[in-house]
Amino acid sequence: MMLYQSKQEYYESPIHIDQISTSSIPTYTRVRSRRPVIFDGHYSDMRGHSRTIFGLRMRDLQLMTGLLLLAVFIRLYRIYQPSSVVFDEVHFGGFASKYMKGRFFMDVHPPLAKLLITFAGLMGGFDGNFDFKEIGKDYIEPRVPYVPMRLMPATLGVLVIPMAYLTLRQSHISTTASVLVSILLILENGLITQSRLILLDSPLVACTALTVLAWSCFQSEQRRPFGFWWWFWMSMTGLALGLTVSCKWVGLFTIALVGVSTIRGLWDMLGDLRITPEIFTKHFLARVLCLIVIPISVYMFFFAIHFAILTNSGDGDGFMSAEFQQSLKGHQMHDVPIDIAYGSHITIRHVNTQGGYLHSHNHVYPSGSRQQQVTLYPHKDENNVWKIMNRTNIPYDGPPVMVKNGDVVRLEHVATSKKLHSHDIRPPLTELDYHNEVSAYGFAGFEGDDNDLWRVEITEHSSSDPKSKDYLRTLHSKFRLVHLMTGCHLFSHKLKLPKWGFEQQEVTCIKGGTYPKTVWTVESNKNDQLPEDAEKVNYKKLGFLGKFLELNQVMWQTNAGLTDSHPYDSRPFDWIVLKRGISFWGKHHRHIYLLGNPIVWWGGSASVAIYLIFKTLLYVRAKRGYKDQLSESEQFYESLAGFFLVGWFLHWAPFFLMSRQLFLHHYFPALYFSVLLFGVLFDIITKFFKSRHRVLVALCIILVTYLAFRTFAPLAYGDPWTKSDCKKAKWLSSWDFDCNQFYDNYDEFNTEPTESPDTKVDHVSSNVPHGKENVATTMGEVAHKADAKNVVKEKATNNNVTEMDTEKKEFDIGDEDDADDEQFNPPAKHDEG
Amino acid sequence: MAEIRQRAGKKFDAKTEEELFPQTNSEDKTKDESPSQPEEDDFSNLMLIVVTGLGLITRFWHISNPSEVVFDEVHFGKFASFYLKRTYFFDVHPPLAKLMLAAMGWFLGYDGHFEFDNIGDDYIKNNVPYVGLRLLPATLGGLLVPLTYLILIESGYPVITACFAAGLVLFDNALITQTRLILLDAMLVFFMTCTLYSYIKFYKFRLSPFSTDWWLWLTITGVLLGLTMSVKMVGLLTVATIGFAVLSDLWELLDIRRGLSMQQFRSHFFARAVCLIVIPIAIYLFWFYVHFAILNGSGPGDAFMSPEFQLTLKGNSLSYESHEIRFGDTISLKHKDTSVFLHSHPQKYPLRYDDGRISSQGQQVTGYPHRDSNNHWIVKPATPFLDSADRPLNDTIKHGDHIRLEHVNTHSHLLTHDVASPLMPTNQEFTTISVEDDSRYNETVFQVLIEKGESNTVWKSKASYTRLLHYSTKVALWTHKEALPQWAFKQQEVNGNKNNVEKSNLWYVDEIVGKNVTEVEKPKKPPKEMPFIYKFFELQRLMIAHNSGLTKSHPYASSPINWPFLVRGISFWTKNDSRSQIYLLGNPLTWWLSIGSISVFVGIFGAEVISRRRGMTPLHPPVRNRFYNSAGFFVMAWLLHYGPFFLMGRALFLHHYLPALLCSYLVAAVMFNFMFVNSLNYPVSYPPLTKKPVRQVLHADVPWTSYLVVGLLLGGIAVIFWFFAPITYGTPGLSIEEVKRMMWLDTWDLHFAVK
Repeated sequence: MMLYQSKQEYYESPIHIDQISTSSIPTYTRVRSRRPVIFDGHYSDMRGHSRTIFGLRMRDLQLMTGLLLLAVFIRLYRIYQPSSVVFDEVHFGGFASKYMKGRFFMDVHPPLAKLLITFAGLMGGFDGNFDFKEIGKDYIEPRVPYVPMRLMPATLGVLVIPMAYLTLRQSHISTTASVLVSILLILENGLITQSRLILLDSPLVACTALTVLAWSCFQSEQRRPFGFWWWFWMSMTGLALGLTVSCKWVGLFTIALVGVSTIRGLWDMLGDLRITPEIFTKHFLARVLCLIVIPISVYMFFFAIHFAILTNSGDGDGFMSAEFQQSLKGHQMHDVPIDIAYGSHITIRHVNTQGGYLHSHNHVYPSGSRQQQVTLYPHKDENNVWKIMNRTNIPYDGPPVMVKNGDVVRLEHVATSKKLHSHDIRPPLTELDYHNEVSAYGFAGFEGDDNDLWRVEITEHSSSDPKSKDYLRTLHSKFRLVHLMTGCHLFSHKLKLPKWGFEQQEVTCIKGGTYPKTVWTVESNKNDQLPEDAEKVNYKKLGFLGKFLELNQVMWQTNAGLTDSHPYDSRPFDWIVLKRGISFWGKHHRHIYLLGNPIVWWGGSASVAIYLIFKTLLYVRAKRGYKDQLSESEQFYESLAGFFLVGWFLHWAPFFLMSRQLFLHHYFPALYFSVLLFGVLFDIITKFFKSRHRVLVALCIILVTYLAFRTFAPLAYGDPWTKSDCKKAKWLSSWDFDCNQFYDNYDEFNTEPTESPDTKVDHVSSNVPHGKENVATTMGEVAHKADAKNVVKEKATNNNVTEMDTEKKEFDIGDEDDADDEQFNPPAKHDEG
Repeated sequence: MAEIRQRAGKKFDAKTEEELFPQTNSEDKTKDESPSQPEEDDFSNLMLIVVTGLGLITRFWHISNPSEVVFDEVHFGKFASFYLKRTYFFDVHPPLAKLMLAAMGWFLGYDGHFEFDNIGDDYIKNNVPYVGLRLLPATLGGLLVPLTYLILIESGYPVITACFAAGLVLFDNALITQTRLILLDAMLVFFMTCTLYSYIKFYKFRLSPFSTDWWLWLTITGVLLGLTMSVKMVGLLTVATIGFAVLSDLWELLDIRRGLSMQQFRSHFFARAVCLIVIPIAIYLFWFYVHFAILNGSGPGDAFMSPEFQLTLKGNSLSYESHEIRFGDTISLKHKDTSVFLHSHPQKYPLRYDDGRISSQGQQVTGYPHRDSNNHWIVKPATPFLDSADRPLNDTIKHGDHIRLEHVNTHSHLLTHDVASPLMPTNQEFTTISVEDDSRYNETVFQVLIEKGESNTVWKSKASYTRLLHYSTKVALWTHKEALPQWAFKQQEVNGNKNNVEKSNLWYVDEIVGKNVTEVEKPKKPPKEMPFIYKFFELQRLMIAHNSGLTKSHPYASSPINWPFLVRGISFWTKNDSRSQIYLLGNPLTWWLSIGSISVFVGIFGAEVISRRRGMTPLHPPVRNRFYNSAGFFVMAWLLHYGPFFLMGRALFLHHYLPALLCSYLVAAVMFNFMFVNSLNYPVSYPPLTKKPVRQVLHADVPWTSYLVVGLLLGGIAVIFWFFAPITYGTPGLSIEEVKRMMWLDTWDLHFAVK
């Protein structure tokens, strides 16, 4: 968005570039203020006033106030309705309650928007004792302050309007067009629906709008480089970028937009031979500081808050490494002795799956040997403690003997006095030939049999501790346990036992299994024989940076793993034509369905198309030698429209590369740009109209938009509607809102309240389909599944070994693990054929 | 001064634009325009013969070893056999290369008896003329060497540069390994290289447009594009390369300063459109036509295709097992995707599921993989909904008819209602209701919607894929791989899918109970006909779907980012008793040289662009134009044959990089020329036929140092080639030390490195 006309003028100006340092700004400003007014008609009183948003005229302020009031009314209308959980409020409301409790959770989105919602909840007096478990769950009864929580996104949604207005006004778009765009945005049903619920997209769109506003203000300051406002707006852009990307990663596209625009500006500057390399470097570094360093710091700042709040362990622990978990209350561990001697009480942790500790409890397998279960359990518990013993039973009183690599040991479950045991019986879940069941067997005083014997094989050790290569040492040695009689390895994978096993992870003994899943480490260690001052060890403390990087990595993997199809997902091409919406909620014969205002939506898409055609035509004509000399204002409009077009493109096209499930609401940032583009095109096209006529045209557009808004308003607000009205509103057959939900006429809604919600429970449960991820499961579980898949995938590529995949059919597993039996990778045909 | 504009490339500034038309500004010079240089030409031809010979020798060397099935010979050998036996098979690749192999087999008198089932199967024991089969790809692979040489000669580089490029291709272990086996990549790379060559030839006639030669080479380019595409879909990347070059060329032609009228421009445009779009598509279609013509018998590929398609194959099972279904028939319904029967048994759904949701406690309806009398259902007409009253009660069932299904063993009707299914809250539960209970009649009615059916299509067993759409809630009968808990004996869940147009909603009638036995076997019907174009589109769709579905990880799959750096190879074949192995690994020196030269290109390009932006012109204009147009074209070819792989979700392998590798060798040679040879041969384009312009002719002045550099580099490359030759040719008797010495990188997972 270069202001060409000012640049030309700038070139023509008598002032030499060297003088344009901070000291010479006043002179330069004076020169500029004498320059003739360029914009014909629309912005004739530019003289003298600084072209930042603080120099607004009275009329602009009045209009803005009017628009603001209108937006408040439209966005906040009956915000208390519906009084039950809608769509993804399941997740984001749920996260708010977890923030309240400080319980660690994992979500694929950065924290800012969720923090804002939590803050609103806190102000409203929410205590976090509501789980937002499923769509349609009532808010009134448990007294959830959902209105304040909804007000947060709604307020941000309202703020988008003045920001859009200011962006256009200060980019010298006419008042008419600016008002038109603002009203189009106000009447956009999709934005309304999205902003009046506890969802993240409204904060995202608001932050994107703020970025665009700040960036366009910065562009106007281009002729006064290194001045106060120049710095101010550039750092504001950086700040806004940071906020955007802290709401959702889609903000990265906004960063891309600013990046492209910055590079374009720098490139122009590079071509200007009067700018010395020194000044260029200064420009470059200033941009690095404001547009890279600031956003990153902002982004990290919110993660710092995130970690500061979530100090307790919670349902997100399972995603994180043991080191990370150590930083959460409930997982913290005291320093433990590093040496493991016979007779030590130890807990053994599975390295690969984050599934937790080797565990046994006083329950037996329902099938197989019917001996006591051995599982993996993620939490600290007495039942995780095993006593490590040598193979002979002879009492020994001497000094403690350390466990060496290659030693044959027995492990006694301390709480039940049973020994870790394995035998040639198929495990309960993975009934495969090369898996043996692992159980706890025996009783106190029973010496045990040879099937209790395990050999310790240390496979990895901490490089800082060479001793841990030969001696089993806490945390520093990673080892496998080989069952002496059958030669199988103690193994676990992400397969949960059913109810009878308390959904803990299955442990088996595998012959020739994949390496990573047979590796264990000793996490805690207690031995009375060791002296008090024995060498101690603990997990490496993860600093903020380590936690930050790990969490972002996990978020990325989980995000990429959300590939399951969803009844209401859609693809980027569907968005531009508004092919399909999302069913958010349905109860009491009312329905909320995310659907944009088709007029706004199609208008935006049409302006993109028109602009592209127009631009192509210009290029071809220029190539054929036609001299289409654009006037300065046309050039200016053209470049502004180009900026919005690039913005639209960068917020839309990258979605094609994503294989994860996508939803209509991912299009909102792009929609914002396309509506701004619509405003610019409106100005270009109506440039030659009389001002009265352009107002008339604008009014017509507003009228049509309003009618469309009216038509679909019941779907946005969850208002009463009738079957016939609903059917009439199905402009496209692909809009799958459910007209059968409504009554035949409005009168029936008046009798409705007699029906108490309780009698309708059955109805609700069957109408649950509107959930994002299967409603009944929480995000955590879904993400968990995705995570399992991911980890498997990743490990498979890293280790060149095909991994067990819990999702796969059992015979699949068989084939693959058979392959792993062999010492080398056999030459294999690939699947291309 | 004359100007070399080798290929379509970047924009020109006004100064060089004038140089483009030498005939207008250099008329005063009267030098003869193409002095022959016999010595140079002789040398060039001699070298051509030398590199051709060497290329063939390196590929044919020990071609009979190993006499066993190696790597993907499993697939492609098998497909050749299928062609020779004329039994239908399905593959994700277009047919040309496999047809070539089959043709080779046919010449050799091979009858296609061998199945190529496993890697390591013996060829000699099974009497397969494998040497002959391998000779075809090996010859094409060997010809890559002279082709590379010719591309550079035609692009106006001195013999020494062309020799260098040929040497890179000659001594590349990966190209040798891949092309001396029965695989498709030899054909692919060969046709791709030919396409580049012919496009360059075509471009050289740009000053005499619409001349015979111009048309000839344009057509050849189109034909070769078609052939490349017909080998593998990756050929589309070659199409993109030529497409980009042509588009930017056209953009230049559109320039008013070129003096073409719109009429002339249109002729240019349509000539290219016909030759480079229509011809390739026609050729692509042609090979599929041949494919279908040859494969006229039923075979292992039947199951992939639609029933209509299967009916066109000789001896297909459908034509005599498919019967019309009538009201009152007892049928078993099978789900197309998961191959389970629609099943029910007296057990009920539990009142409450584990997650606390409540069920209807109705009779369970599940998916069950085995034959069982609980899979039997009687099809009954839903009488009030039948369109006309005068249909007999045992009428055939047609598309759109409404039916009810009665479960034979429990005397109950299939029903679905607005209750969430056990596993998916988004889908509807299926259950049954006693035959006597007619109170929920509407909920037991289903509509039969036959895939691609019209109102008079009859529902047939085996042959008709059908959706069963619920009358009152419009959900479709559906099942998925997820199993119900123990209370349903871990059978598959059946539920109602709200998305009723999904492909996975399809079921077919597996048998009509009683009918298949009692009915006298009809005389075999002749195979049906199906228009070629329908067959083509059906197969094309399936190929694309299956290709993108190949996401299962493979032990030797690799990610594209690793390819240029040769991080890892692929183990093709091993034999323990002779201690020999074939491992696809490039010549590290040539691979790293080529990726290095691309980074040199990028560096020079960046520096040049920025310095021009700052008003400096470090490169002499002819040198710069050669840099952009020649090296730029090759870099674009490399990028387009490499970059798109990053977007592919399927399992990828090192050999997918080979086409890009060849382009990168061209870049390497051009960058060598840029650095070590001071001047250029030009003009490279043929002079216009009509006018006799006078052009200054220059010849490259090759300093002795460049011979030295080429000598040293090629010497080193040859030595390294020799060093890795045992794993390229599968030479027996590798010692542990030898293998260990070869493992320059830890990630090269050769076998026999440890005992």
